[in-house]
Amino acid sequence: HVVRKFLGLISSHNIPVYLIDPLILGLVNKDIEQIRSSPDGPSPECKYFCAPRDFTTFALLDKTWKHEVGLFRTAEKMGFQWLKIINKDPRLDGMDDLSGMEIPLHYIFKLASHAIHLVVFYERSGNYLWHGPLRLKQHMDRKFVPFRKLHFGRYPGAYEKPELLHVSIDDLKVQIPKNPSSFLEEMSHSRFLECRYREARAFFQLYPDGASLDAVEFRIKAKSLLHLAALTLNNLGVKFWLSSGTCLGWYRQCNVIPHSKDVDLGIFIRDYKAEIIPTFQKAGLPLKHKFGKVEDSLELSFQGEEDVKLDIFFFYEEEDHIWNGGTQAKSGKKFKYFFPKFTLCWTEFVELKVHVPCETLQYVEANYGPDWKVPVKVWDWKSSPSNVQDNGVWPVDEWDNVIQIY
Amino acid sequence: MEEWKPNPTVKPHKKRSWYLAWKYKLMNQRALRKLCQTGAVLFLLVTVIVNIKLILDTRRAAYEEEEESAQDYDDEMLNVEVPRHPVNNKKVLDVEVYSSRSKVYVAVDGTTVLEDEAREQGRGIHVIVLNQATGHVMAKRVFDTYSPHEDEAMVLFLNMVARGRILIFTIKDEGSFHLKDTAKSVLKSLGSQVAPFLSWRDMWTFVGKKGGEVYGEKHAKSPALSTWGDPVLLKTEVHLTSVEDAECHWPDTELNRRRKRFCSKVEGYGSVCSCKDPTPIEFNPDPLKDNKVFDVPVAVIAGNRPNYLYRMLRSLLSAQGVNPQMITVFIDGYYEEPMDVVELFGLSGIQHTPISIKNARVSQHYKASLTATFNLFPDAKFAVVLEEDLDISVDFFSFLSQSIHLLEEDESLYCISAWNDQGYEHTAEDPSLLYRVETMPGLGWVLRKSLYKDELEPKWPTPEKLWDWDMWMRMPEQRKGRECIIPDISRSYHFGIVGLNMNGYFHEAYFKKHKFNTVPNVQLKNVESLRKDAYETEIHRLLGEAEVLDHNKNPCEDSFVPDTEGKVYVMFIKMEQEADFTTWTQLAKCLHIWDLDVRGNHKGLWRLFRKKNHFLVVGVPASPYSSKKPSSVTPIYMEPPAKEEGAVAVPAVAAAEQT
Repeated sequence: HVVRKFLGLISSHNIPVYLIDPLILGLVNKDIEQIRSSPDGPSPECKYFCAPRDFTTFALLDKTWKHEVGLFRTAEKMGFQWLKIINKDPRLDGMDDLSGMEIPLHYIFKLASHAIHLVVFYERSGNYLWHGPLRLKQHMDRKFVPFRKLHFGRYPGAYEKPELLHVSIDDLKVQIPKNPSSFLEEMSHSRFLECRYREARAFFQLYPDGASLDAVEFRIKAKSLLHLAALTLNNLGVKFWLSSGTCLGWYRQCNVIPHSKDVDLGIFIRDYKAEIIPTFQKAGLPLKHKFGKVEDSLELSFQGEEDVKLDIFFFYEEEDHIWNGGTQAKSGKKFKYFFPKFTLCWTEFVELKVHVPCETLQYVEANYGPDWKVPVKVWDWKSSPSNVQDNGVWPVDEWDNVIQIY
Repeated sequence: MEEWKPNPTVKPHKKRSWYLAWKYKLMNQRALRKLCQTGAVLFLLVTVIVNIKLILDTRRAAYEEEEESAQDYDDEMLNVEVPRHPVNNKKVLDVEVYSSRSKVYVAVDGTTVLEDEAREQGRGIHVIVLNQATGHVMAKRVFDTYSPHEDEAMVLFLNMVARGRILIFTIKDEGSFHLKDTAKSVLKSLGSQVAPFLSWRDMWTFVGKKGGEVYGEKHAKSPALSTWGDPVLLKTEVHLTSVEDAECHWPDTELNRRRKRFCSKVEGYGSVCSCKDPTPIEFNPDPLKDNKVFDVPVAVIAGNRPNYLYRMLRSLLSAQGVNPQMITVFIDGYYEEPMDVVELFGLSGIQHTPISIKNARVSQHYKASLTATFNLFPDAKFAVVLEEDLDISVDFFSFLSQSIHLLEEDESLYCISAWNDQGYEHTAEDPSLLYRVETMPGLGWVLRKSLYKDELEPKWPTPEKLWDWDMWMRMPEQRKGRECIIPDISRSYHFGIVGLNMNGYFHEAYFKKHKFNTVPNVQLKNVESLRKDAYETEIHRLLGEAEVLDHNKNPCEDSFVPDTEGKVYVMFIKMEQEADFTTWTQLAKCLHIWDLDVRGNHKGLWRLFRKKNHFLVVGVPASPYSSKKPSSVTPIYMEPPAKEEGAVAVPAVAAAEQT
């Protein structure tokens, strides 16, 4: 039926699409062993593609095809109606004053009552794939298909580059992600936030970037430290996000704040792994201090190149809020920093695909108060944050464990 | 340049003031009306937006949240273009053309399409080409026919304009001094009755259709050598033809659609818009076997020189192994015509709002372009950087494909460049030969991503520093002793005559005689010997084999080098320390090669060809190769000419910076 026709169309134009339809991949996943072992085996009935639905979703890597108009002419001849959704190229969005051509983000091919949703993926700096949001422009036919039932396009998304597998299902040859279940898992957390480049530009107009040599050097060091930290944590499979000053830098100016002097990351305590410390040490980042313990207020600090330090704060989830702890070494005083609940989104920062809280504004405001837009050079982590509360003192007999300084 | 001096005897433009007042009044009324119209349209638009928003909100409740946050970034809604000229069926254009000593203007249907009253520029014959069906301006040129050769350029241009186009001419200041008979007869053939008799400081306006009727001509003779003819104002009507008649009837293909779009918009590109036998816009050169640079992005840095860009892209797209999908043209400014050229060839183009001025503007444009290139092609390890005024050799990509692995593996390399600063017709010989040089030639080069991202980008000079990007890249703080690989015979050719630091004389002296490879598929020789240590072995071998020239002779004389072919000769010049280029500069001068600053050296050694022999120059004692000098030989010392030098050096250095 429609899928078969569509696959015929794209293969006649040599366009390497792959199947990302969550419904079908879900079905396929159940039989994945069998499908993998007999990639060419005939299937007795139409088991996957005939499942009732309005759409079938495919992905297309932008760089693997030339934007040939021929495809659309052939499609029309075959009876397809098609719709193309274009928008600004986010890869140029961060760039001062560049305006490129708009790029295609989504295609929809409709035939009778079924439609093919073709999502265009772009490679971006940070070695990941990105797809854009689906936004209709004024003149577009809003009833072309029931747009809100689409599985992709409500938000932009970020994905790893998938390994693909050639399979034959329901007698149709298609490519699918090699591991459908991990793709589906990835899909559920794929929402991507673009940096607020426009606001960042406005910020720099108000507070011009000190192009001092120190600032340049610090940015280079902070970037390489962040790259190393991300590599290490990703290898360990520990999910992390940009926190505190690093998060503020991303949100406010799409860059490292040059006077911040460290790199801050957040990790949910449930994702804590004992290997974190030894792995960082092996990666060349010695432990500088460890405050608190897994059960309470854990905080790690590693020494990066020269005087740049990597702070990892562990976050504890409660019913209606999330918090992390702080410890003053000389007095044993404890502090608690409160945040409203948040989820994680992907973003791109210094050529890295990293997590940030999706509800970034609330997160930043909790930490830095309503005046977060104004740069502050003097910052006391014990009193400046607007979400800090005293949290008692560590019992003296625990100090050896909860206050470790190297 | 006497004629530029303000002449107190010429009356101020009182005569025209009634006209101007009337014109501006009219324009104000028009502006007012336009304002009202725009206001109404905007109001309508807002209503529509509000309505649509309402519909959206209700229908797509699920999307609501995102709509909120995305709205800041969605300027689409406001971007709706309001057509400025509502389509009407008017078939007649009102054309006004004004010619005078200090001002020219052309207005089409009340819209000023040319206005030049700047002092000390815009002298000569201004030409405007209009589309005969739409009345749109397709080309605007000025030919300073007071100066030599400009009339030839004008003839060339007029010949390229398609039949049927409307041509408008007007003279500012002086346009006859070097207007030769050929040019006059071309103007005559267009229907001008005055052109053959145009003389010193005459004022002249003319409107006609190429190969067709004349719409009007006005002329004011200069009464005396020291005065100008009275200003002339020509008002006439031009009858538009149908769009059908104004277009060629090429077969309907994707390529021809692009061609049609281009040819109905701009003029002056010659055969690409020819109806009968248009020149191709797709070239399909042979692919390269084992092309190592197929996936390397190519950034073409351009300004507003669309004709240059056109020539450049033609040669680039004709080079074997080119991958059009990897090409991005970066245009410095919101210029339409360069973008039209980019679209004609089906390439992608990016426009850049200019930041800063002059050299700093170029520098910021480079930075934005390089950053964007690596953003758009995040997988790329390299980028090829080209400029709009270069011809690209047919084996450009083959040359890079054979050498790029060196840039990847040898950390002592800074770049690969297609340009040999010393590669002139008489000094370059071997298309398969490569050198290592301590300078960074630019003009078609390959940049390593890690070099850019880790070193250059973070430190790139900020707009307020009025630095040249290439001079900055050549500074020791950036180059850090690394070298570039260059070919003996350049794989690019610098044809630009008009440019920031360029002029005709400079181009003639330093670029015109540059050798440019035209041989396809050159197999490079000894690529491995270009690696850091291997190159030293190679140089020692060469020097060992080289015959020492007679140092008693004058090195500037042809007879200094014997009449042989294919031999290797060496000469020793005085070079007290690493930065002593006194003798070298004099030698370069008399050999007629690049002498404005020091280029092409490697540890005090220069390699070039003379009379088809490899010719090595070693600076003694600074060069480590000085040990090869026989003790009997005294290094040649050449004294710089006394004084005067200072006066010459200043403009020379300024000019050298661009390249």
